Amino acid sequence: MRKPFRISRRSFLKVSGATGIILLTANMIKPATKLFQIPEKKLPEQTEGMISEKWVNSSCLNCPARCATRVRIVNGKAVRITGNPLSMVSEGEICPRGHIGLQVLYDEERITTPLKRTNKVKGSNADPGWVGITWDEALTEISTRLKANRENQGPERMVVFNGLNSRSNEDLIKRYATAYGTPNVISGDSLENEAVKVGRWLADGNYGHIAYDIGKANYVLSFGGSIVESERPLARNLRLWGKIRRERSTRAKVVVIDPRYSVTAAKADQWLAINPGTDAILALAIANVIIENKLYDKEFVEQHTTGFESLRVDASKYAPETAAEITGVPADRIRSIAREFAETRPAIAWVGRGVAGWPHGTMTSYTIFCLNALVGSIDIPGGIMYQNDPVYRELPKVVEDDIARSGLSKERIDRRKQVIRNQEISTNTAIENMLTDKPYPIQMAIGCNSNFNMTAPGAAKWEEALKRIPYYIHIGPFISEMALFADVVLPTTTFLEEWGYDHSPAGSGFAEVKIKQPVVGIKTDTRNIADIIFEITNRAGGTIAESFTGIGDNSEGFTKYRTGDLISWQEFSDNGVWVRPQYEYRKYHAIFNNNTKKFEFDSSFMVDSADPMNAGIQRKSRHEAPVFQGKESEFPLIMTTYQPVLTMENGSQNYPWAQEIFLAMHGVGWTSLAEINAETAHQLHVNDGDEVWVESQFGRLKMKARVTAWLHPKIVAIARGQGHFAPGKWQKGIGINPNAITGLSYDQLSGQSALYNTRVKVYRA
Amino acid sequence: MPSWGMVIDLDRCVGCQACTIACKEENNVPHGSPDEQKRHREIYWNRVIAISRGEYPTGKAVFIPIPCQHCEDAPCVTVCPAKATYKRTDGITVQDFRRCIGCRYCIVACPYGVRNFNFKSQRWEEYHRPEIAPDRVSMGMWPFPQRTRGVVEKCIFCFHRIDKAIKEGKVVGVDVVPACVEQCPTKARVFGDIDDPNSEVSRLLAVRGSFRLREEYSTHPKVYYLEQG
Repeated sequence: MRKPFRISRRSFLKVSGATGIILLTANMIKPATKLFQIPEKKLPEQTEGMISEKWVNSSCLNCPARCATRVRIVNGKAVRITGNPLSMVSEGEICPRGHIGLQVLYDEERITTPLKRTNKVKGSNADPGWVGITWDEALTEISTRLKANRENQGPERMVVFNGLNSRSNEDLIKRYATAYGTPNVISGDSLENEAVKVGRWLADGNYGHIAYDIGKANYVLSFGGSIVESERPLARNLRLWGKIRRERSTRAKVVVIDPRYSVTAAKADQWLAINPGTDAILALAIANVIIENKLYDKEFVEQHTTGFESLRVDASKYAPETAAEITGVPADRIRSIAREFAETRPAIAWVGRGVAGWPHGTMTSYTIFCLNALVGSIDIPGGIMYQNDPVYRELPKVVEDDIARSGLSKERIDRRKQVIRNQEISTNTAIENMLTDKPYPIQMAIGCNSNFNMTAPGAAKWEEALKRIPYYIHIGPFISEMALFADVVLPTTTFLEEWGYDHSPAGSGFAEVKIKQPVVGIKTDTRNIADIIFEITNRAGGTIAESFTGIGDNSEGFTKYRTGDLISWQEFSDNGVWVRPQYEYRKYHAIFNNNTKKFEFDSSFMVDSADPMNAGIQRKSRHEAPVFQGKESEFPLIMTTYQPVLTMENGSQNYPWAQEIFLAMHGVGWTSLAEINAETAHQLHVNDGDEVWVESQFGRLKMKARVTAWLHPKIVAIARGQGHFAPGKWQKGIGINPNAITGLSYDQLSGQSALYNTRVKVYRA
Repeated sequence: MPSWGMVIDLDRCVGCQACTIACKEENNVPHGSPDEQKRHREIYWNRVIAISRGEYPTGKAVFIPIPCQHCEDAPCVTVCPAKATYKRTDGITVQDFRRCIGCRYCIVACPYGVRNFNFKSQRWEEYHRPEIAPDRVSMGMWPFPQRTRGVVEKCIFCFHRIDKAIKEGKVVGVDVVPACVEQCPTKARVFGDIDDPNSEVSRLLAVRGSFRLREEYSTHPKVYYLEQG
């Protein structure tokens, strides 16, 4: 590393005063660009220490939206990240998290050599006693372990934790798991999205993420959606926000329903502080007003829906006055919103991650989603869109031997599909089962960029489960909280140093693929996840190696192989994106993927007598009063958590740019706050800025109180993203992690962990 | 001579802070630390603050991005005993680190709190961009790519970009804008020549209600805000 240029101000002034001209040459700064030239003197371009500049296309991975970026490289250093102007998803923009890629790349806490644990005791406070080993030693040890487990214990006893990875790495990780023979690939999807997905599936039979065409909408009714804070894809949402508010002849109206005064609520035209967990009632009351006044889209309802009568009957129980008592939203407001929503088309009812987090999230999500069909906003411009995903070149079938076949036939550790046959994942049940060795004990695990013991509710259970895994391999660029429990850590490159392809989650409707290419040289002795997998499979031999031959042989080759049918390699590298912006609306013959081929207000997946083997699931009511953990008498408040815009999702928060302005709404960074309603705080004798304990039956956390009138009186809101205990000068010991005192409970249908299920009390520390 | 100004649309701004980070990225402004935040010693050339206007529930929280306001009658320029801060002919208020004696008189005088005193020598390792951006080559002694301890620093409207653009014959405000304007995902910021009636900034000021911060001080800022809603 170059020595910093040090010159005291005094001596500096002396020099400059004496000579009037300062010439700094290579002695002081090298490669020296002339810094202190007198302005008149024309500076020749060929000064020593010449500057080379280039822009390299890549894409971001600080959240799952994976926006296309361009990175400016000066003299081999990345100095700036911007959006890729050719990207149609984000329209050339990136969100603030994108810029922080630079600090991810140059993070001082990154590890540069494989590490082996010497302390056998595992725990969040235990020093792992890392010792550096060579890649060959590490890979030999891992390969031996993997082989022994596969042949002696059974491949299903190896779990793969899939954190935030590029699509290309994800494809390889899943392929490896299949070739190895384990059905247990555990992702974090069910920590936040699963209930939204299942709710929609009940209506239209499509199991996937939702795309809202907000750019063309005239009315957005957001139920718990932090559209400009954390809903994905954020960069697109931000860009379209500017568009719908100021760049069109008609300004879209936005109404936000949320017990918390989110940034989105602050920017909306109306904010309704609804009683926690009662969103479905409000949706039913809105439906009631729309149906009673015959404001619904008759043509769409008649031609493309079923079960209207069932919705009408259910909704008729909730007259605005009845609903007002339960939800706390005044009856006249409910009427006016319903009217506006039905008459200002195209209108969107946005099912935010906020509403899916309450217990009973799936049915809430389903009920709200039905509002879209009521006003005909299904697959029309400004309504709900059905995301087109890119079709990559198909991979040859995985070669399976008997061991793999036997492993894959075993039940998954998260025991998904118990209720819903499409269920992809139930992240937290996986660890609950691991703690009780159900359905079989887990012998080893591989974690790829995962950090679930920070991001999942019930952090303590995760810790217990991780301690129990006899052998855990963590693959990632830095020591995350999960890596603290590892036996071996393999250092990887960051997303700015690797080859790959990526596409956004639903949001745009049309398909777009982005390249990932190394923008700078790879940090010493780190490797791409893709290359690690190719190496491991190569060492494994047999059918595993066979499954990985002829698909590119390394990360770059694999990216070429998969994208070759879409775009030429040169063009992909030069443009950074492949876009198919055409989106076909009104595909009513194709989008409904259920028995009736219609939008179902009364889902045909729900039957009166449940038979899990036979498609049907037990009929649920559209609303149930949420069940919270903890007695109301002892814990009078409900804790909700939220994700501010600068919460990074890559497993670390060691980024000063993100930390210092972490809570923009409150003007502070480097901390967590317990946001409490002013009246509640007054009763509790808590003042703004006081240190308080927030206690649930699972533990307590100390932080500063933020007293504000802008919050529902029954809740305490705490931002997620702080409270890291893994090494990191800018993250360790800063703030608290609310997941540590959140209880574990599940939405009955989707298996999503209920994020806001815990009652707490607050008192002065 | 143009008169550079900025228009910030508070209706579009969602307080995402992309401008704050883009500014730090562009101008190599050092990041802070928990301790510095406690002692109010952080350096921001651009900040976004949230204020609440009105009482619950009728009021609203408003995000206000605050770069240097580049006042026509800049109090900081008036009070500076060392002539370290001065107005360029195009209206940009700049700060010469070499002349600055660190008395901080200007910080007291500035009604907008946009001036920062640099209390620290930056650690080399914290500098994620040891190379100087190429734009700076033609910039001579300004701005110092390496920070100087003990002087005042502030937003410069990215004048290195403007000067380079003019030299290259590009249109400032269209082809080239300051980093915060360029990186705003909602396009809340617009930059251009306030004196040119055809510029986008003039057009926006003509059609939308606008205000400037603390107009009663008669500093005549060059940063205009468009009303929310």
